[in-house]
Amino acid sequence: MRQRTQTAYAFLTPYLLIFLAFWIWPIINSFWLSFLNTRSANWTFNPRMTWGRLLVDPAFANALQNTLVILVIQVPIMIALATVLATLLNSPALKVRGLFRFAFFAPVVVGEVAYAAMFRLLFNEFGIINKMLAGIGLTTIPWLSDPNAAMAVIIIALTWRWAGYNAIIILAGLQSIPEDVYEAATLDGVSKVRQFFFMTLPLLKPVILLCVVLSVIGTMQLFSEPFLITNRGGPGQATETLGLFLYRQGFNAFNFGYASAVAYTIAALAIAISLLNLWLGRERE
Amino acid sequence: MAGVTLSKVVKRFGSYEIIHGASLEVADGEFVVFVGPSGCGKSTLLRMIAGLESVTEGDVSIGGRVVNDVEPAERGVAMVFQSYALYPHMTVEQNLSFGLRMTGHDKADIARRVERTAGILRIAELLKRKPRQLSGGQRQRVAIGRAIMREPQLFLFDEPLSNLDAELRVQMRVELARLHKELGVTMIYVTHDQTEAMTLADRIVVLRDGTIEQVGRPLDLYNDPDNQFVAGFVGSPKMNFIPALVVEGDGRGVTVELAGQERTTRLTQPLAGPAPEPGSRVVVGVRPEHFGDAGKGDADLLVNVDIVEHLGGTSFIYASTAGDYGLVIQRDADGVADAAEITVSIRKSYLFDENGKRLR
Ligand SMILES: Nc1ncnc2c1ncn2[C@@H]1O[C@H](COP(=O)(O)OP(=O)(O)O)[C@@H](O)[C@H]1O
Ligand SMILES: [Mg+2]
Repeated sequence: MRQRTQTAYAFLTPYLLIFLAFWIWPIINSFWLSFLNTRSANWTFNPRMTWGRLLVDPAFANALQNTLVILVIQVPIMIALATVLATLLNSPALKVRGLFRFAFFAPVVVGEVAYAAMFRLLFNEFGIINKMLAGIGLTTIPWLSDPNAAMAVIIIALTWRWAGYNAIIILAGLQSIPEDVYEAATLDGVSKVRQFFFMTLPLLKPVILLCVVLSVIGTMQLFSEPFLITNRGGPGQATETLGLFLYRQGFNAFNFGYASAVAYTIAALAIAISLLNLWLGRERE
Repeated sequence: MAGVTLSKVVKRFGSYEIIHGASLEVADGEFVVFVGPSGCGKSTLLRMIAGLESVTEGDVSIGGRVVNDVEPAERGVAMVFQSYALYPHMTVEQNLSFGLRMTGHDKADIARRVERTAGILRIAELLKRKPRQLSGGQRQRVAIGRAIMREPQLFLFDEPLSNLDAELRVQMRVELARLHKELGVTMIYVTHDQTEAMTLADRIVVLRDGTIEQVGRPLDLYNDPDNQFVAGFVGSPKMNFIPALVVEGDGRGVTVELAGQERTTRLTQPLAGPAPEPGSRVVVGVRPEHFGDAGKGDADLLVNVDIVEHLGGTSFIYASTAGDYGLVIQRDADGVADAAEITVSIRKSYLFDENGKRLR
């Protein structure tokens, strides 16, 4: 028995070593780093240059604000859309359900760079979106050079990419609600609309909460879209997110101490917002 | 108050016909049980009455009104599901009142009905609990309570007791009978359990493969089954069936020879109708309790005793004949000797033709 345990650990060791070296150690080390002034030749303990700077740095405040704006607008829109999509997918009237399920899920498996390039083309000054706007007599929008419009593009892109993914998760939740509960409500004279609001939504709450928490975590780390679609948080710093700001501090300015403090802030915020969501959505007796 | 009429009701799912033209009258205030093996279409028939399934052909009427195109909620029916189908996120009280609240019922009236329902079903102390905090029996009570809340003209039950343990089932059976007496409304009850059917029903409807085999009062079905299926389905343990050949018959009766016996065994039965041709195959049905002491019946059988079950008052002998036909024989406990071979006499029997139709 002991022999077998040892053998098992022997097989696990390579993985554990890598896990230790590239996961655990960086997490611990960056916590230590976040207290160091890394802008001088020899790094010294000086939290004022990292944690202290967070409080006064307007660029950090801007990135934080952008991230929260995206979070507050995009997550609710996407979850609502995902719920609607899931409900449609679950409808017995729907034929070729498998095809739709695949289509909704597909954006997640498309390569990030390809998807970003596509959105850049779509929302280009002379892209198809502006063509369509002009076609129906509306004014065209400088999507990628107007700060607000660029923000909208990020939100649209994120929603396109993740709504279907969340819809599939919510669909699983929908399918776990037994059909006869709805039949009972139908016999009780409860309309379909009321069944949705008074039965489906409350019963989906745990699943929707899961989607919200996953989306919050994802959005807090948001990086690829502003990096690739709006060209590193452009125009100016209009779409710079915390993730992008961290990248800029760590890998452009090589200010590892400050970047570590930002990283810990992102993690702390993601945890705090998720906990807040779970608390708000808790089961009340 | 409402009776139910089915006239030539047909149900097809796609091209697959499940119910083949069922006709039935259920009187106002009657307790009718649909019974039959699993998959025979009991639930489908019930759901058509509720309006949860459309009617392919024929008419369903409730209270004299054809309801084929009437919304389920407008039919004045309430249904209790096998799985209870309680709203999981609501308390018992909310479960009871949900339908009425959603349809804009008067608050005071709802409160009054909740109180009355909780009283009838003795669930007053459970009102603040969620379904998952209830036992199976309590959930079933709540499900029945939800049906009562609507003050329906017609109750539909789809195997409401089959998820409960045996003891609770007996207890709930008694309660349902009491409820029917108290409310005095029409009830249609689906079960695959013939004991439930026998104990609860004013009338039983026996279904097989989407066809109504026989309708009648429990004892009528038991004493006078129309066919071999009903004879085998009603009564527990089941009726024994022994193949036989017709030896001779005339206008008054028929004599048959039982297959697979130690020695030639003949049985004569009076018949009102024409007797089958000599040589044709028939089936003799004998209920376990219709075997008697040797020499005191219509025919004597020598059987090998396999196992004896002693239940106290009575005993069941599981035996077989020389031709290896298994028989279940019921005897008084003190009439069972510990023997490998016994002779029993058939005191009463039923005769069925080759297609299972009763010969009488
Ligand atoms: N929605 C449906 N689509 C196709 N076949 C069905 C459907 N519902 C029931 N059936 C079939 O109809 C038959 C009768 O079903 P059911 O009424 O549930 O039987 P029971 O309640 O007597 O066990 C079964 O063969 C079942 O497979
Ligand atoms: Mg059924």
